[in-house]
Amino acid sequence: MEISVSETAGVNVVALSGEIDLQTSPKLRGELLGLIANKKPLVVEMSDVSYMDSSGVASLVEAFQTARSKNLGFSLAAIGEAPLRVLKLARLDGVFVIHDTLENAISANGEN
Amino acid sequence: MAGEMENTKQLEILASMGRDFAASGDIKSVFLTGLERIAAMLNAEGGALFLLDENGDKLVCHAGFGPVDISGLTINATDGIVGRVVSAGVGEIVRDVSKDPSFNNVVDKKSGFTTRSILCAPLGVKGEKIGAIEVVNKHGGDNLFSNEDLKLLETLAASASLAILNARMAIELVEKEKMARELELAAEIQKSLLPPDGETDSPVAGVNLAARVVSGDFYDFFELEDGRTCFTLADVSGKGMNAALLMAKTASLFRCLGKETPYPGNLIARINAEVVETSSRGMFVTMMIGIYDPKEGTVRIANAGHEPPLLVMADGAVRSFPASMPPVGILPDIAMGKPPEETIINLDGGAFYVFTDGVTEGYIGEKELGADGFIKLINDGKNSLPRERISAIAKHIKDGSSALRDDVTILVVDDAMAFAKRKKKNTKQDNKNKSDGSGGYGRMAKIVVPATAESLKLVRRVAESASANCGFSNDATQDIVLAVDEACQNVIRHAYDGVNAGDMIINISRNAQSLIIEIRDFAQRVDPEKIHPRDLGDVRPGGLGTHFINEVMDKVEFKVPNDGKKNNEGNLLVLTKSLK
Repeated sequence: MEISVSETAGVNVVALSGEIDLQTSPKLRGELLGLIANKKPLVVEMSDVSYMDSSGVASLVEAFQTARSKNLGFSLAAIGEAPLRVLKLARLDGVFVIHDTLENAISANGEN
Repeated sequence: MAGEMENTKQLEILASMGRDFAASGDIKSVFLTGLERIAAMLNAEGGALFLLDENGDKLVCHAGFGPVDISGLTINATDGIVGRVVSAGVGEIVRDVSKDPSFNNVVDKKSGFTTRSILCAPLGVKGEKIGAIEVVNKHGGDNLFSNEDLKLLETLAASASLAILNARMAIELVEKEKMARELELAAEIQKSLLPPDGETDSPVAGVNLAARVVSGDFYDFFELEDGRTCFTLADVSGKGMNAALLMAKTASLFRCLGKETPYPGNLIARINAEVVETSSRGMFVTMMIGIYDPKEGTVRIANAGHEPPLLVMADGAVRSFPASMPPVGILPDIAMGKPPEETIINLDGGAFYVFTDGVTEGYIGEKELGADGFIKLINDGKNSLPRERISAIAKHIKDGSSALRDDVTILVVDDAMAFAKRKKKNTKQDNKNKSDGSGGYGRMAKIVVPATAESLKLVRRVAESASANCGFSNDATQDIVLAVDEACQNVIRHAYDGVNAGDMIINISRNAQSLIIEIRDFAQRVDPEKIHPRDLGDVRPGGLGTHFINEVMDKVEFKVPNDGKKNNEGNLLVLTKSLK
């Protein structure tokens, strides 16, 4: 799993690629929670994620809940078929805010 | 002569009051009629009847007539002239109220009516104070009440007191009868909720012997489409109509929701949410719900505050399963933020008994039956069919007690017959496997890896290529890979407790119908009953893996290893995915 972080229009963008599993999800979790501490809205771009397991889902849920408790925007963008399938299996596809493209996610967060 | 006339009139009043009380449920109108007759006899302008309230510290006007109606007026039990008469238990003539400091002129001031004189007599029987009758402002003659008037009022008051007491007793009697009728109705409701007996040799059977006073016991079971049987036994707190209604509600919720929520824990949580919303305060239901799978020989149960069910094995070994949740109807979220706990029990030919405390608290002679006595009765009947066995136990308890204090309700799930069938089938299967010479299923892959997160990538690649080779679609392959990954994660995190303590063996094979993935570890034995999927309504990190595995695979089985490796220590999880 690769993580790259950038900032666009006051929004932190985390782009993920590769496989998120028990081995890599602790790093993801740390990164997401660290960024939320910066008090900026967060968009997780997931177009290149080829695999995600329950520990990856758990990291996203924890980050989502932490962001929400601080009234910060948190959304997923351009989520690939494989991770979306896992979110659906967990019945969480309706819980997360999911945008088709990174641009939409950024502008939606800007408005907030 | 005049005296005789008076006496006849008095008798008439008394007789008619008694008659009216007996005939009418409307005590107030009887009071009023009686009061009017008394006042007419005494030539009084108005009158009132005061009764002490239940606590005896207030006097309430129950009937009043005259220019000003004061019925409903409530005063302290010692206030005013009425209070004084009631307290002293002695009648009084007050010829000029304006000279009496006790006189309360509030009503006069408000109404413009002028009370000049009052005649008041206490109501009571044998020292028990009931209240007082008063009449005001005599017409005619010298406009003054006489001692004869007082005597007459006192005589009438004494009779009225008796009539009032009689009426009160009659009301009590009616209430009692109403309650008895209510209990009969409740018993009817209870009976109507019990399911009809199934086949005589049905593995699931129930019995309920009602005590004279209805309790809130019920049981029910029905078959699911996949051949499993969903069953419940519950005990509603309290007795009578309210308990019967709550029981009816809970029973119909079980029937309705049970068909769409075939998970006992979630089902109890849903029933609880409904019951909490509407049930009256302080009422609750102890409830056990289970699902019996005759193909696997398992029951999956959830227990909300109910008496621990018992598993009695063929060899006589006994296990009990204490409740993991509070009773239904108390907390809005019965599982208190966690997924509702379920326990999966391997019956292995044994029988599972759910019962109410009427069983163990039933008396045999002078002695309470207790759990030990119950188990003994079960063993006594072990050669009879399930329904015969529990009916005999219930009858034994009923015959042994002079009067049943509580309902006796027992439900049994007996796996013996299904066990015999499974055994026969397995033997056939084993022979078949032997005869085709392959020694079992066709092996596809076997890897031995350390139980660490770093191994998962390799496990996934192997599982992926095996599923793809079986012809599974891309989506199905992804799902299988996820399930295998999650199962290995459970080994890494739970079986080895996060410490890298050993290896995992992943063995992938297929037969004509299925892809089979066996995951073997050598960690401490895991109690499969402690593993349960997460409640999906609950958004939070963690606990998802088991849900994924159950969702994706067609069959998930915990088995005791029998490969001889390390003395068969550790665990074996077998995941099966149908090729179709």
